[in-house]
Amino acid sequence: MNLPAPMNNPLALLAHAPSAPGVATREVLWNIGDAWMMYLMFATSLLIAGYGLHRRIASWRRGLPAEGFDRPKERLLRLLEYGLAQRRTVRERSAAVFHTFLYTGFIVLTIATTVVMLHHDFGLPVMQGAFYLYFQSFVVDLFGGLVVIGTGIALVRRMIVRPRKLVYTDEAELLLFAILLIALTGFLLEGWRIAATNDPWGAWSPIGYLVALASKPLFGATALKIFHFVVWWSHALLVFGLIAAMPYTKMLHVVTGPLNIYTARLAPSGAALRAMDFDKLAETGEPMGVKTLAGFTWKDLADFDACTECGRCTSVCPANTVGKSLSPRDIILDLRQFIRRGGDFAAPVVGAVPATSPESLWECTTCGACMEACPVFIEQMPKIVDMRRFLVMEEADFPDTMQEAMTSLESRQHPFRGTQATRLDWADGLDVKTIAEARDAEVLFWIGCGGALIERNQKVVRATAQLLAEAGVKFAILGREEKCTGDPARRIGNEFLFEMLAKENIETLGRYGVKKIVTSCPHCFNTFRNEYPQFGGAYEVFHHSEFLARLVAEGRIRPDVARDKTVTFHDPCYLGRHNGVTDAPRELVRISARRTVEMEMNREQGFCCGGGGGMSFVDEPKDKRVNQERARQALATGADIVAVGCPFCMTMLEDGINARRGDRDVRVMDVAELLLEATKK
Amino acid sequence: MRWHYKHFISSKTRKAIVNIIVCLKQILDPEVPARDFRVDHDRREAVRGSANLVTNIFCENALETALQLKERSGGRITALIFGPEEAEDSLRKALAMKADEAVLVVNDGVAHPDPLAVAQALAAAVRRIGAYDLVLVGRESGDWGMGQTGGLLAEELGLPCVSFVDAIEAGGSGLLLKRQTDNGWERVDAKPPMVATITNNEFNVPRIPKTRDIMMSSRQPIAKWTLDELGVDAAAIRAGGGYSRVVELAIPEKEVTCEFVSGDTLEQKVDQLAQRIMEIARAL
Amino acid sequence: MSDVVICLFSNAGYDRAAQGLVGAGRRLADALGARLQAVVLGPQNPELSIRAASIADAVVAADQPGLAEYQPEPCLAVLTQICRELAPRAVLLSNDTYSQELAPRLAHRLGGSAAGDGVELAVENGALRVKRSVYGGKAIATIELLRTPAVVWLRARAFEVAEGARPASIATVRGSSLSVPAETPTRIIERKSEATGEARLEDAAIIVSGGRGLGGPEPFKDLQEVAGLLGGQTAASRAACDSGWCPPSWQVGQTGKKVAPGLYLAVAIRGASQHMAGISDAKNIAAINIDADAPIFKHCRFGIVEDYKKVVPLLKERLAAMQK
Repeated sequence: MNLPAPMNNPLALLAHAPSAPGVATREVLWNIGDAWMMYLMFATSLLIAGYGLHRRIASWRRGLPAEGFDRPKERLLRLLEYGLAQRRTVRERSAAVFHTFLYTGFIVLTIATTVVMLHHDFGLPVMQGAFYLYFQSFVVDLFGGLVVIGTGIALVRRMIVRPRKLVYTDEAELLLFAILLIALTGFLLEGWRIAATNDPWGAWSPIGYLVALASKPLFGATALKIFHFVVWWSHALLVFGLIAAMPYTKMLHVVTGPLNIYTARLAPSGAALRAMDFDKLAETGEPMGVKTLAGFTWKDLADFDACTECGRCTSVCPANTVGKSLSPRDIILDLRQFIRRGGDFAAPVVGAVPATSPESLWECTTCGACMEACPVFIEQMPKIVDMRRFLVMEEADFPDTMQEAMTSLESRQHPFRGTQATRLDWADGLDVKTIAEARDAEVLFWIGCGGALIERNQKVVRATAQLLAEAGVKFAILGREEKCTGDPARRIGNEFLFEMLAKENIETLGRYGVKKIVTSCPHCFNTFRNEYPQFGGAYEVFHHSEFLARLVAEGRIRPDVARDKTVTFHDPCYLGRHNGVTDAPRELVRISARRTVEMEMNREQGFCCGGGGGMSFVDEPKDKRVNQERARQALATGADIVAVGCPFCMTMLEDGINARRGDRDVRVMDVAELLLEATKK
Repeated sequence: MRWHYKHFISSKTRKAIVNIIVCLKQILDPEVPARDFRVDHDRREAVRGSANLVTNIFCENALETALQLKERSGGRITALIFGPEEAEDSLRKALAMKADEAVLVVNDGVAHPDPLAVAQALAAAVRRIGAYDLVLVGRESGDWGMGQTGGLLAEELGLPCVSFVDAIEAGGSGLLLKRQTDNGWERVDAKPPMVATITNNEFNVPRIPKTRDIMMSSRQPIAKWTLDELGVDAAAIRAGGGYSRVVELAIPEKEVTCEFVSGDTLEQKVDQLAQRIMEIARAL
Repeated sequence: MSDVVICLFSNAGYDRAAQGLVGAGRRLADALGARLQAVVLGPQNPELSIRAASIADAVVAADQPGLAEYQPEPCLAVLTQICRELAPRAVLLSNDTYSQELAPRLAHRLGGSAAGDGVELAVENGALRVKRSVYGGKAIATIELLRTPAVVWLRARAFEVAEGARPASIATVRGSSLSVPAETPTRIIERKSEATGEARLEDAAIIVSGGRGLGGPEPFKDLQEVAGLLGGQTAASRAACDSGWCPPSWQVGQTGKKVAPGLYLAVAIRGASQHMAGISDAKNIAAINIDADAPIFKHCRFGIVEDYKKVVPLLKERLAAMQK
């Protein structure tokens, strides 16, 4: 081929704008007659897609009201961070590559097509000159290449690597092949056009140019034109087919993903559960919790359609990891399919599909890992709790041992049946005042049932109280007036009981004018911080790790002996993931021990101890215990001490570690205990 | 492990309407920690303190047994309490568990009348309720645990009584009961009306009421009867009865120090343990 | 009359409970300066009758065919008739299920008063007083019986036996003197034994018992083996029975059996007061528990703070070795 000399090396030209011959551009719709057919096809595909979208939106509108459009500035910022910048998507290495290639490729190609449209159909001469060469030719060509590579990786992953978390459907593979074909035919078309027209700017499209180089010796100009014509229409057909198919396939996430990121809950995930209006429910007779699809909000229903089938929720789900049947991914996908197949909005949801079997629903620890992992902010866990609400409150059908805990909560305001401990035993020999005795206390130390009534944890709250006293904090406890915050009731699905306990506690706290609370238990912490505000209880709440870290920073606690131990910190879900408190406990660990190590899953991506969501009251099958899996992960770090910050984590991990540590001397300690030891001269 | 209960409750039980009266008692929470448990030596009763009042567990087992029988054979269940006004809570819970009716015979006398006084009050109420085939009571209460209400009630009503029953179905001469004995179980064929005292097993664990039923139970009527309108010696019952009286109530003092076996290794410790056990075993 | 009547079932034989009952009756009769009458219900059991007769002042045996096996209404009717005739000051029974079933009704028919689960008997100002545990074992009450006769069922195994070698008369009540109702509204039609060994749990000298901490039914097999090595029996806490890990007849506690073994080995039982109420008569309590703070240790003579999973297999080994 004879090309102007400088054109042989476009890269050399990047320094200065091209000049001759003439203004760089290309003929739009070259070699294509009857272009109106293309417009007709485009219009048809838009109509089909529009109808599909309309169907989806109509299905969401059958849901109950929910927020989603308030505080637009925060929502937009989040959309930029997680939608445009894909912050969650890129957490996974393979997806970081292939999805970024596909996603950016699609954006660039869409812009390019828009440019063509503006240029050709709207008469705006944008597709020319430097812009044509740098962007429309060179950049677009490269990104087209990325689409090919991305699709290739995705196909290899899907057909050869086959990770367990993916859903293997023909649809997914067909879509990838279609995209691959569109990209490849695009290069063919470009190359053949360059070859047939002797496009002087051809080399600015490197891949197309290679196709041109390869085709030129093989085919004559007529053959190229015929090929081009045929492939062009095939390409168009594929593209419009893909557009038309979008709302009917997983491609829908291109629209619903960003929409979901925009409309998702803004509060921390610890505030994900809705309050209920029991007076109204009693009047109307409407089911409590989600009995049928009609019990979901529009946002829940939109969640189903946002799912990208990436499977991350299930792959991080602790229950699923240890081999249980719970799969948040399948809950979303099974229900989506149920709805799309004309699912009856009046039929029971629990058990309607395999994923919503009661057995699965009772395996959830409400750790929220699924929600944290979801690139498009789907809320799997609250839906599980919503279905549990129906099972508990309408059917009274839930695991026996959870029933015992509920019964105990009802009659004794703590979930531990048969305990012989009292709420004051832990303070034996300490000078701890109740708030009734010390009305001027500046902060209320909320012990929690787990701290007060489980012997192991009594040592933790004791250590915390000693540290508070040492730092000169004027604190007091509620003593016998303390009741469970209601967290286990709420997670198990007994919202009625939760509300009762919440109101009683808020009443008690109000009576003493409590403003500032330090809790020993992340579950209590979360309830005070994120849930009591729903019932009119607003407090300044600290987890003991935060409060102690602050006292250390202020110099009121002076740790001076870092132990010669290696410590790893296990993030409690209701502290780390649900509330983002991950630094304070680490700070305490850091100053108390010589060496710290991290488990692979940590901070917001921590792995549950298995004790949340009422699961600490359930006897798990021996070979499927979440605490054992977490203990395995902790032991794998080689740490001597596993630090925790939660009474439930303490009992679950102690069990797990003891079962797995063998001859190794590994202990589970609360960060407060570590700090107390570090302050002992 | 599933024992004989499944076989006992055959799938083809005869459809026979059985009207049941279940007598309940509200007691001080038996799970109140020992440290919190106090007695009033003068009044000779436990101090309530911060403990809660709950329905006696065997009474709930009785209600559960009745509910299961009703589910298979039909009938109506009346929950009956002779107790203070506060006992209404236990009746509300019984209604939430789906008892059909609730009757409170208000005890405005001493807190703990003797077993005969209780039986007389209950018997009068049972007679007033009228149509019944079966009167169920718990085998004993978690507070005083006298274990006499069932037997005395049966005698007051002139009815037969079977104790320690843990499953009932319609059949035989009317009812077939399974009851626990010291070393196993027995099947009893019974012709109603009769009284049975109920004990627990893994199948009559009281059900958890549905929240909707809990909410609705607060709107259901509870019949309140006074002792005076029941045709009993109300004055005697209010005074506690003339059957028996508590002359002393005390918390026993037990001082045993546990000797933990010592040893450096687990093996040494278990060795010691085995030796201590064998010493006793040989002495026996 | 001021006789003391004790009621025995011939089918149960002269077991520890019968011995304790006879002993208790003897001492009460002596305290009252009264005669001790032993009533034996059921088919002739010469050993029981003779042994009872050596301590009691008289034995009345009721061996009508209708009483061959326990039936509530006939037994109650017969016992009522005999007691009416003897017009005793007190009637003592053991704390087996049959006796517990009969006692309150018998008291009612005789116009007397009943109390149960007695661990101590006393006569104060002429009135019979019964000491018993209440509030799930958290307290001890003394109950005074205000009517006569005083019908009391006792934790008979906890009472000392009495020695005696007196020649007593054995009167057999037969024929027309007693009417045994033939047609009764209730009838026991099937009896099944689920004993954990040969003897009854209440008679066991050694009991190895498992609780909620065992986590499932399987570990009970190990406990049975340990019990077997010691010639003892296996029992369980309510939590274990309610979970269906073992038959309900194994249940020991406030709501289960009240046992009085020489050694009660509690494995993975925390020792809530309701459970302790069933073993308050045990001579020695020992425990295997992972938690040093478990309340059970407050009642133990000795114990080990270790995971039962590690202890029980080793213990089995050691005990087996020691027996060789």
